[in-house]
Amino acid sequence: MARASIVGAGMTKFGTHADETLAELFAEAALPALDDAGAGPDEVDALYFGNTSAAISENDTHLGPKAASQIGLAGVPTQRFEDACATSATATKHAVAAIEAGLHDVVLVGGAERCTPASGLDTDEMTRVFASAASRHYEQPVGLTFPGVFALLTKRHMHEYGTTREQLAEVAVKNHHHGSLNPRAQHGMEITHEDVFDGPLIADPFHLYDCCPFSDGASAILLVSEDAADSYDSTPVDINGIGHASGGVPLSEQSAFTATRAARDAAAEAYAQADIDAGEVDFAEVHDCFTGAEILATEALGLFEDGEGGPAVADGRTALGGEVPVNPSGGLKAKGHPIGATGTAQLVELTEQLRGDAGDRQVEAPTTGAAHNLGGEAATTVVTVVEARP
Amino acid sequence: MTADEVPAYAEGTGLAHATWARALRDGVLLGQECSDCEHVLGTPKSVCPACSGRSLVTVRLPTSGEVFSETTIEVTPEGLDDRYQVAVVDLGPTRLLARVADEVEIGDPVVFDGFVQYEDLPGPRFVAEPTG
Ligand SMILES: [Zn+2]
Repeated sequence: MARASIVGAGMTKFGTHADETLAELFAEAALPALDDAGAGPDEVDALYFGNTSAAISENDTHLGPKAASQIGLAGVPTQRFEDACATSATATKHAVAAIEAGLHDVVLVGGAERCTPASGLDTDEMTRVFASAASRHYEQPVGLTFPGVFALLTKRHMHEYGTTREQLAEVAVKNHHHGSLNPRAQHGMEITHEDVFDGPLIADPFHLYDCCPFSDGASAILLVSEDAADSYDSTPVDINGIGHASGGVPLSEQSAFTATRAARDAAAEAYAQADIDAGEVDFAEVHDCFTGAEILATEALGLFEDGEGGPAVADGRTALGGEVPVNPSGGLKAKGHPIGATGTAQLVELTEQLRGDAGDRQVEAPTTGAAHNLGGEAATTVVTVVEARP
Repeated sequence: MTADEVPAYAEGTGLAHATWARALRDGVLLGQECSDCEHVLGTPKSVCPACSGRSLVTVRLPTSGEVFSETTIEVTPEGLDDRYQVAVVDLGPTRLLARVADEVEIGDPVVFDGFVQYEDLPGPRFVAEPTG
């Protein structure tokens, strides 16, 4: 029994969207999602909207009604979610629960975000905004940044398991290759290991190309009950599990550290709901905000044993054509990371892949995909299992 | 790590951030120890994460430890220096994030050495343990 079904999916190209309002940007993803399903705004019962930073970066709050009004949904119940980079995955979780409970029948879920210098803040200002997700009182004063969070996790992983800089670079090279096949990716160019090593340091071991870019963009999905899904124009895919867990703040006190406990708990919960094990996952979109984060994620999802995530990427096991392609969209690394839009953008990719509509980056005949969306210092993680209908 | 060496203004239970920060500015690194299960925290909480106990006694943390992980941050937030190193320091009973003043690596011994400040909030500072 599916918990809910995706009948519409849409997203903007990720990159720079400096000349639109946030609501206009969201419309560029939401209307294609509705059109994909063949649904009009009058059929939508609720909007679950994600945005992380506009309250700080654009002095723009109470975004649910603003986004709803832009797309003909004024009047429906709407709320805005903020869970750092996991924002629109948690919005999806609540939308699925609302459908299951009979609270709403048709829910539009998505997010919009602007982080590029062209659309607002300079790099040091946006670095401060991102760092606001770290502990205000015990981490920000020390100067911890988000590259810093994942650098601490990754250097410990390198120390414990022998993960190498070359393996980290291979994540970037692979995801840029995947992104070169995705017309909506912010970075459509291929890169080499030398490009990674020659880039400026951000927080060692991460150079510029180990890090996802600042991005603007939006994404949206239309959710309905499993039984209602057949009445829409598109090929539906089923959300069969969503797991959600939190990890302790501050990061230093997380007992497991490199294990990212929240991701393991979320994955176990999602797999149990979907009645699958990790071995049945055909491909995954994971939260590769930094190259090391992808390696930690593939281990937390159980795709590889602890310590095997680095060798796996180096051996091509996570590339398109490999045994379990990871981030066929290009991931946050190449596709881009407009924070509050990332969670539902992962589900857009899962939907297109499971429909067989992913073009040059199509995974070979997948039936089960997993999305791993992480927020803050691994302090929120949502894992979603999406499957094609038999 | 004992309860009898904490400043008078911090004695007892119920350590709040304001007191933790005042002590840090005074050169004292405070934490909490659970009366029920002896779990130690470097940053104050209202409830013990290990046993859900609420009797968290204010204690002085150890002032020396070992680098558990570290990174040098080169792209820094608005208002901070251009380049600095941070580390998760393993103090034994708990781990604590700190700024470090010297080039240290995982496993290096470090000692508490005052505080840094950002937007009027203090954070702990450690330095490499002097050799010899
Ligand atoms: Zn306790």
